[in-house]
Amino acid sequence: MSRTSAHDARASGIRAMLWGAFVILVIASAPASAQRDTTRRDTTTKRTASDSARIADSIAVVRELERLRAEPRSRDPGRQQPAQGAPTNARLLPDISAVGDLVADLSPKGSTQEGGERFSVREVEVAIQAAVDPYFRGDVFFGISDVEKISIEQAYLTATSLPWGLEVRLGRYLMPVGKQNTTHRHDLHTVDYPYVIQRFLDPEGLKGTGIYASKIFAPFGFYQELMLTAVDRFGEPTEGLVTIEPVNKKLSGLGYSARLRNYWDLSQASNIELSFSAITGDREQPVLGGDPTLGTAARQSVFGTDFTYRWRPLQQGLYKSFILQAELLQQVNAKNPTLELPSGVPPDGLVYGGPTRNFTGGYAFARYQLTRRGYVGARFDSFQDEAAGGSATNAVSGYLEFFPSEFSKLMVGYERYAPAEGSTTNRILLQATFALGPHKPHPF
Amino acid sequence: MRLPSLAIAALGAALVAGPTIGAGTARAQLKVVTSTTDLYDIAKAVGGEKITATHIGEGYQDPHFIEAKPSFVLQLRNADVWAFVGLDLEIGWMPLLLQGARNPKLQPGQPGYVDASRVISVLDVARGNVDRSQGDVHPLGNPHYWLDPENGRRIAKLFQETFATLDAKNVSVYDANAKAFTQRLDAAERTWQADLAKIKGQPVVAWHTSWRYFAEYTGMNIVGFMEPKPGVPPSPAHLAGLIQTMKQAGAKVIIMEPFYDKKTADFVAGKTGAKVLVLAPSVGGAKGLDDYIRLMTSGIQQLAAAL
Repeated sequence: MSRTSAHDARASGIRAMLWGAFVILVIASAPASAQRDTTRRDTTTKRTASDSARIADSIAVVRELERLRAEPRSRDPGRQQPAQGAPTNARLLPDISAVGDLVADLSPKGSTQEGGERFSVREVEVAIQAAVDPYFRGDVFFGISDVEKISIEQAYLTATSLPWGLEVRLGRYLMPVGKQNTTHRHDLHTVDYPYVIQRFLDPEGLKGTGIYASKIFAPFGFYQELMLTAVDRFGEPTEGLVTIEPVNKKLSGLGYSARLRNYWDLSQASNIELSFSAITGDREQPVLGGDPTLGTAARQSVFGTDFTYRWRPLQQGLYKSFILQAELLQQVNAKNPTLELPSGVPPDGLVYGGPTRNFTGGYAFARYQLTRRGYVGARFDSFQDEAAGGSATNAVSGYLEFFPSEFSKLMVGYERYAPAEGSTTNRILLQATFALGPHKPHPF
Repeated sequence: MRLPSLAIAALGAALVAGPTIGAGTARAQLKVVTSTTDLYDIAKAVGGEKITATHIGEGYQDPHFIEAKPSFVLQLRNADVWAFVGLDLEIGWMPLLLQGARNPKLQPGQPGYVDASRVISVLDVARGNVDRSQGDVHPLGNPHYWLDPENGRRIAKLFQETFATLDAKNVSVYDANAKAFTQRLDAAERTWQADLAKIKGQPVVAWHTSWRYFAEYTGMNIVGFMEPKPGVPPSPAHLAGLIQTMKQAGAKVIIMEPFYDKKTADFVAGKTGAKVLVLAPSVGGAKGLDDYIRLMTSGIQQLAAAL
């Protein structure tokens, strides 16, 4: 690409992004002007609010609220108790929470963890969440680990006042590709993500930074949701590879994804979800025959479908439940990508070293609730391993989960991992997770 | 067409399709969704034919642990009113539903966002330091307040005000309906007096703190709970202590909801000679308990008969 055309492409990309941002702001501001008058409250709330404004001192406000709370209870229906009209978060603090994820690897032939630890604090996730203003909500998740130190796991602004049931996010988020990828790793019912997600998307769950839009609709009488994203790039940069220009230099090199969720209630106790996902983007791939750090951009896409069946009888829901879940993903690679080489580097002897065939993989997972706090689960994984020329790697694993409460989990897992090449490995894993802070909604 | 153009076209299509796919037609009735069957029944009593109402939880289901199913999101996305118990009863699932529904009318501060607890005299508001070593505590207070008929009246009044705000042309209907509901409740209450006299002061054991308001109203004396701490399943050591307490206090009844494990209560009853009374905590929690007044009547009558 010539310098001029590259400049034009960049300018065109910037213009497109500016227009996109403008459109979002216009949409977000439209309902802002149509907001209802929120000053309408009951008498007590009005009184408390006006008092607070007059006091204009947060310490005094808190003392006032404590005084109001101490007032005796009345059974007079006409008199509302001030305590219930008072704000519960007078200082407007955001919700701050932390989740600890501790893993022990007692595998007989050595630890199978990334850093080789037998016992590790795999990650601590700190979340800060709050409404930003009447139009946006902010969510920030920091990941802290020995390997990655502190990283921004997710940080996104969600527009909450868009018309037509639209939701738009800006920032970094777990990519809505596949089912389990949208779940935080510590919320999984297994120690790690399924292998197909680890290999085709990301070992710690695929995230993206960009714009996310989703819409809910039900033209056929059941729940459907379409989620579209445009992100800075598909996946993390490949370590040790340098391309002549960033893979996202052209807009076509960005990451784009789509997911269509379909959900049906079969009965009060059971339901199914059948969804379809796709993601595409340019990724760095190796070039062989020269500098080992030389890379080139090549398109990679992943298409997938996932199925989840849930059963939980309402009356016995504290004690009985069952989940059956499966995902199938196919990674589609460019067949004859053009080598993009630095000027002055002769193409002689250089060949594309990335994958040129497609790979398929998937998993099936089931979990049954044994008691109020105990669960047993199993997963079967299989995927075509690029490193082994596409031969299948298989794994089967079993798990026992114990939840002392909603805020802690203890798990023991056994896995038999049979790689396409090499010897079979037995893994024994223990996991403990704990949550501090405000009560978080249970993921569905 | 290149990929960016495809993505932009798809986004544009979603935006353009929005008004046609997502928008509902104008409705004459207020669309009300409630978290529990109790709020649903009172809302129906007040709203009458001027509203359509649905509920998320069922009366025989633990309201703390309702699944945030996408089908509930569909109910909420076009609703005019979302009424909930509050005091963190629905904290485990309500945020997901409200965020998923993307309905500006149901956001905090809007008239359609109806936290019924704000008109209630709340019991068990936490004092001093609160943390989860005390179990699944509700720092803002005990949320099971609908089991006191006084609070039923307050909820009805709240619905009357809410519906009148959102649908001013039917104010007189809502006023009349709320008054009729209160009169029916008053009449029922007069029939409970003999049973209430029998219950007053009697020692009982409850599974969860959900019967605190019922106790406050009936005068029954809860001498212990099956749960050692709110939300924590009974341990053998706790049950051993509870059995001693029951014997000393002379508790003859163990009250529990239908969604708990009756075997544990039966065990304690077997050791103490008490009777296990499975009471519906909400409308629809047992056969025939189709409305709020029947629910209260049934609870009081069954308890009086068991003592």
